[in-house]
Amino acid sequence: MLERLAPFADRFTSPGELRRHVNSSSRIAMRKGVLLSNGQSRDGGISARVYRNGVYGFAAAPQDDDDAIRAAIAAAEDNADSVGRADAGGAPLAASALGEGVYDYRSARPSTTPAGRVEILRSLDAAIRGKFPHLVNVDITLSSHASEKTLVTSEGARAYSYVPRSVLGVKMAIEANDGLVELYNSLGGFGEIQDQSFEPLSLSAWLDDLYEELRRKAEGGQCEAGLQDVVLDSDLAGILAHEAIGHTCEADYVLAGSVAGDWVGEAVASEKITLVDYAGRGFDDKSSFAIHVDDEGTVCRDVTLIEKGVLRNFLHSKKTAAELGAEPAGNARAFSFSDEPLVRMRNTAIAAGADKLEDMIGAVESGYYLKRATNGQADFTSEFMFGVSCGYEIRKGKLGRAIRDTTISGVAFDMLKTVTHVGDEFRWSGAGGWCGKKQPIAVGMGGPAIKCKITVGGRG
Amino acid sequence: MTSLQNASLDDFSAELVARALARGASAAQARASDDRYFEMQFDNRGYDLVRSVQNAAASITVFLDGKRGDASLNGRSTEEVAAALDSAFFAAEAGVADEANDVAAAPSLPASRHGLDIADRATMGEGVESLLARLRSEFPLVRIRDSLHSFSDVETAFANSRGVAQKERRARYNFSALFMAREGSRASSVNWAEASSYQPFGNPFHALGLGRLLDEAVRSLDPRPVPCKFEGDVIITPECFAGLAGSIGEALSGASLFAGTTPFVDKKGEMIASPLFSLANRPCDKSAPGGADFDGFGVPTSDLEIVTNGRLNDFLIDYFFSRKLKAPQTAGAWRFTVTSGDASLAAMIAGVKRGILFSRFSGGGPNSNLDFTGVAKNSFYIEDGEIRHALGETMVSGNFQELLKNIYAVSRERVDFGSASYPWLAASGVVISSK
Repeated sequence: MLERLAPFADRFTSPGELRRHVNSSSRIAMRKGVLLSNGQSRDGGISARVYRNGVYGFAAAPQDDDDAIRAAIAAAEDNADSVGRADAGGAPLAASALGEGVYDYRSARPSTTPAGRVEILRSLDAAIRGKFPHLVNVDITLSSHASEKTLVTSEGARAYSYVPRSVLGVKMAIEANDGLVELYNSLGGFGEIQDQSFEPLSLSAWLDDLYEELRRKAEGGQCEAGLQDVVLDSDLAGILAHEAIGHTCEADYVLAGSVAGDWVGEAVASEKITLVDYAGRGFDDKSSFAIHVDDEGTVCRDVTLIEKGVLRNFLHSKKTAAELGAEPAGNARAFSFSDEPLVRMRNTAIAAGADKLEDMIGAVESGYYLKRATNGQADFTSEFMFGVSCGYEIRKGKLGRAIRDTTISGVAFDMLKTVTHVGDEFRWSGAGGWCGKKQPIAVGMGGPAIKCKITVGGRG
Repeated sequence: MTSLQNASLDDFSAELVARALARGASAAQARASDDRYFEMQFDNRGYDLVRSVQNAAASITVFLDGKRGDASLNGRSTEEVAAALDSAFFAAEAGVADEANDVAAAPSLPASRHGLDIADRATMGEGVESLLARLRSEFPLVRIRDSLHSFSDVETAFANSRGVAQKERRARYNFSALFMAREGSRASSVNWAEASSYQPFGNPFHALGLGRLLDEAVRSLDPRPVPCKFEGDVIITPECFAGLAGSIGEALSGASLFAGTTPFVDKKGEMIASPLFSLANRPCDKSAPGGADFDGFGVPTSDLEIVTNGRLNDFLIDYFFSRKLKAPQTAGAWRFTVTSGDASLAAMIAGVKRGILFSRFSGGGPNSNLDFTGVAKNSFYIEDGEIRHALGETMVSGNFQELLKNIYAVSRERVDFGSASYPWLAASGVVISSK
């Protein structure tokens, strides 16, 4: 496909990209042993984007024959020409290192058959409901997603990638004395279903842990609202890196008014905090997501956002880099063939420190140990929030009763200054995450446990 | 197969069903759509991006003796269609048989047409320009970004093996604005507004209620937390309720009834909300671009009074769960409206002793028990009937079951988003806290 697309790159009369992009996914969902969904989908096509007179023109269609490619380029140019932007006047995009290469992470193992996929759920469901008969509900989902891209640009970038991810999720519900309590966990991540270990036998301990945490949660109570000393487990450190800092440092948001724009070179966090948006699969090649060339054809390289507490850089597209005088590092990404590249994170993580988890918990007189996050949101003010589905009270340095669902929030550039401990054990969030910003996009996130002060919501 | 590539949507979906039956399916259904999308994206300084997308999507569901398999594709090529049929069959063969799996029997509607044939790009551009001019003259502190005026034209055909055939074409405009206020180092929270209409937004400032929202953004440059934790009132704005309604709908859905996870499971016919609260599902509203003529099983949609004066009339049960639960189908597509009340928004604010104007909920998804806790974004502190200041770092916690019962006023004023329509709701009993 690279060979077929490459000649069309010469047709652009201004900076442009041509991308063939196919998303293939599967999803099986089982509730109480009943299959609620069982299928696969494929969504693909060709897109062209051109930049002229300060405006992008973009066009996409599901076909990828030569006529469709020519039509997409022509339509993109027409779209760019259809409006004007007086102030930009054709300001050039930032130059970047041209990406080249083939990055094919297709599994070498035989694909799991549809029957094999359903059997994973059926046997897990039987194991769970047999072992824990008092559960009110059991939801199991098995999903996979693979993004296949072929990209050529007028500047000369030539890249192909196939990046798969697959996730198994289990949610259990149990009756408590004041209503229903639920808990979800997932595993999997980088690779295809056949690359994972999803058999019930190998998941026995994981399921036991999930049930035990659910049982304790059912016996638990509401959080005490207010500013609290907390230890955030690594799962939350990852979403903290993404929501609280990463979004604030996306250069399109900086241009829109994000307060991070005022703080470059300033201390915004404890000097124990270093936060990086990694290219590839991260520093250890173990994140749930991989990227080597972005959708503008830029070679991906790591971007250190915060270095020992000092804000250093933002995340850029070629356009934002030109506006802010920076060098693009491969953060322009699109979700589907019909989407234009946006400034996005890749594998965003807080670097490990030197503290032991037990010492962090031991250092809390009264507070919470928060283990797992659900969703999150960020604001241009650096105020963030994320939901917490699993955690425990800490009283006099020891873990106490479990807590019910809550939400934590803070202003990132204040909260990060309260960090007193950074754990020595780094973990990527296993199954990875999806980020929503006009388009959904797969991201990796990770970090160690950290101890800090954060605002906890609750009725207690 | 070559003929398939040039077939009409009706013929394409019918042919997918025919091929599934010929291959041995006991039943099958197919849905195909042709999509045309045009978008103008802009910020304060003008246009960023003009985007056009064509797509040709389809889905096929195959039933094999009570087992179900699905596949979706885009494109009409021989290989793509054959691969999708293979996928659906392989999935169905691997599936788990369930007596609820089947295609629907339903009347076939006449083909319908909603909205305009072609995007009125001139008026779309005028709408963008008028908003930018108004921002320059009246709201110089407001920054907007990633804001869109778009036109979506989708033609959809459905067919199943019981002979149900449906077709609708729905074209609508959408306008969305993402904005904040900045002055020096002072910054408000980001906020957004969005609505859809069958007509282009020649004056989006008026249609989206942007005057109120932009004014609130400017008044939010100096946010402060609430003075202390308290249990008080919330006046839930239509924008805030739009973000919460899905959780209420989910709790009233057939899926939740089947899971046994909804607190409303045995509440049909009972009061679950204040007598001032009435919630309806209105997918058939001809004036609303967010509606639908038929659902994913090809069943014609119908309107439903879900909650009337606080009493739960019915649940939102689609075709599959109607068979699973052995209950009538009541809903296959959602478009919620809440009935207006007789209070003025000004009077509602004046009646609050202590509480907040709750403009957006940013928090973890409410659990099955409908407990919620999250940040009150773009919101304002109210004391002794007056709005005192914008809120920052303020959290709200409560339970939707209780909140619905604690509604004590509903506004005359309302906002119609196209996809939903809500008034302001005043309720008591929410815990409001800060750092």
